[in-house]
Amino acid sequence: MYFAGVDIGSTMTKVVLLDKAGNLLSFIKGPTGPEHRQLANEVMRQALEQASLQIDDISYIVATGYGRLNVPFADRQITELSCHARGVSILFPNARTAIDIGGQDAKCMRIDNGRLVNFVMNDKCAAGTGRFLEVTATTLGIKLEDMGDVSLKATKKIQISNLCTIFAQQEVVALLSRGEKLENILAGLHDALASRVAALARRLGIEPDLVLTGGVAKNIGMVEAVKQNLGCEIFVPEEPLLTGALGAAILAKETHMKAVRAGEALPTKSRRLEKATFFSQEYR
Amino acid sequence: MSDKNKGLGKAREIYLDSSRRPKDLRAAGKKIIGYPCVYVPLEMLTALDLVPYRTCGDIKEPVTEADRVLPHSFCPIMRNCLDCALKNKNNFLDGMVTIHSSDPQEKTARIWESYTHYPYFHFIDMPITVRPEALEYFKGQLNDFRKTLEAFTAKKLSTDNLETAIKSHNQQRVLVRKLYELTKTSPPRISGTEIVQVVKALTSLPVAEGNDLLTETISEVKNRSDGPDKKSARLLIWSSTLDDTDIMQVFEAKANVVMNESCGGVRAYRGEVKLTADPLEGLADYYLNEITCARTFRQATLGETRKDYARDLQSRFGYLGGTIKEWKINGVIMLLVRYCDPFAFEMPSLKDYLSSLGIPSTYIEYDYTTGALAPLRTRVEAFVETISQ
Repeated sequence: MYFAGVDIGSTMTKVVLLDKAGNLLSFIKGPTGPEHRQLANEVMRQALEQASLQIDDISYIVATGYGRLNVPFADRQITELSCHARGVSILFPNARTAIDIGGQDAKCMRIDNGRLVNFVMNDKCAAGTGRFLEVTATTLGIKLEDMGDVSLKATKKIQISNLCTIFAQQEVVALLSRGEKLENILAGLHDALASRVAALARRLGIEPDLVLTGGVAKNIGMVEAVKQNLGCEIFVPEEPLLTGALGAAILAKETHMKAVRAGEALPTKSRRLEKATFFSQEYR
Repeated sequence: MSDKNKGLGKAREIYLDSSRRPKDLRAAGKKIIGYPCVYVPLEMLTALDLVPYRTCGDIKEPVTEADRVLPHSFCPIMRNCLDCALKNKNNFLDGMVTIHSSDPQEKTARIWESYTHYPYFHFIDMPITVRPEALEYFKGQLNDFRKTLEAFTAKKLSTDNLETAIKSHNQQRVLVRKLYELTKTSPPRISGTEIVQVVKALTSLPVAEGNDLLTETISEVKNRSDGPDKKSARLLIWSSTLDDTDIMQVFEAKANVVMNESCGGVRAYRGEVKLTADPLEGLADYYLNEITCARTFRQATLGETRKDYARDLQSRFGYLGGTIKEWKINGVIMLLVRYCDPFAFEMPSLKDYLSSLGIPSTYIEYDYTTGALAPLRTRVEAFVETISQ
């Protein structure tokens, strides 16, 4: 008996496979890209290969993330908010608040008894999300994964006043032409983003333990900046990108077990690994 | 599929092509008067045999013309309404009545008036508070409205005709509430999406035709076997405007929307106009005091908001408390239209009020387009997941 969680985010696609006891068998992370509608089958195939499993071995599959409707073989769709909350609480049983900063969303979640109880998300625009860092990394000519380490070398804090991704870019260009040091600019950017996320989290109310997840949690500069802005300890999972897919797999397992206990037959989708067809047909 | 010529089927047809009936009526010699907001006293138009037609924006229409004359960052609904007017989509109108229900509407009115050329145009300066002085002032405004209407139609607005009109519109209010009685069951007998279509039809038809449509619809819904499915939550949506079925379906994919507390739903129909010796008195009272939109300032006790917060909340939102109980609502979504300040500022208090009732709520924002609905959908679904565990 095996379970799968598929998290198709705006930037990255993640798959987690679990066994009956909830042990991690394999996971895959890959860029979502523009073809995400057609990619779910491919990442699933890779994860199965890693775990030496066949698709028919999987008892129940939950899809989450923006692309959750584009996984034709998923049995159930659950939002990434519920999945992140569940995943975080499995990794950190004492977690009461989770902040996930992904490619196009920043979400703050409150967790009680391992479940999502309340949440806030950023407005529709991408300010205050991973995209903000991606865009400015390009402007600054630095690799995304190096931003955090470089920012820790800052000797002073630069105030970046504008949090709009586009305007902040202009501000960064102005700072560069003024001769400001890269590390100082980076520290300023991280602080700007962190203060925005902190404001979002305060709207929800923060209760310890606090866990930071999502691609942005891989940036040590951001983790430090969020810590400073919120003034509390932050826990980061080893694989901060995977909590959504992990939560989805856990929820798949729980959904299945609940049905088994109740003696109910749980409807599942065809286990063929095929490309998704059209969005709305899958949805209705 | 129901009959296109009556009840729900007819409402759907009108929803999809709301100007068809007004255009036919105009060809038959009637005069059609547009209005963008439910605060315009339609009784006064009906009494003079004018046909009121609510000029909503077209949510699927990209705004282009309005952006030539106005900044982008303000009420997308008024921008959209004006845009449609500037694109001559309302050229079957004989006139237009706008009202100071919000600042964007007041500001847009001038542009509307000078950039379009309807034979009749009137702006009602509606006060913002429910104080007695405000009521007097509003009555005066309605008197001015009467004068310009009389000049335009070359007819007297008689007390008898006005009373008859008030009775017809009151009947419409009663019927809409009867229709909403049918969402009390679980599952509801009529969906929020269908009600959006019915209300849109009502605001595109003469009152008597609207009442016939409602009567047909109510009997159809009572006897139907193809009603909505039971979903995992019963929601109330609180918004300035929710008048589009695509947006409504974002909610109804996962929940039953049993109350649409916006001007695309129940808002204009919650009470009835009192018949007073001077009918304008009853009209002024109804439109100022009885319609519960965030645009109006209400305070339980003068200057005592902090001391009497619970009472203040009760006086502002008490009507929602009753609805939540009667309709067994287990979640409220505060749907903000971007840049709608009156509703945005009302939100913290409403949230406090709902918390005091133990009702979960969340807020989501949209910009009156149907473009990027995926983020909206995620927020709605996550909220439904939290309340239906």
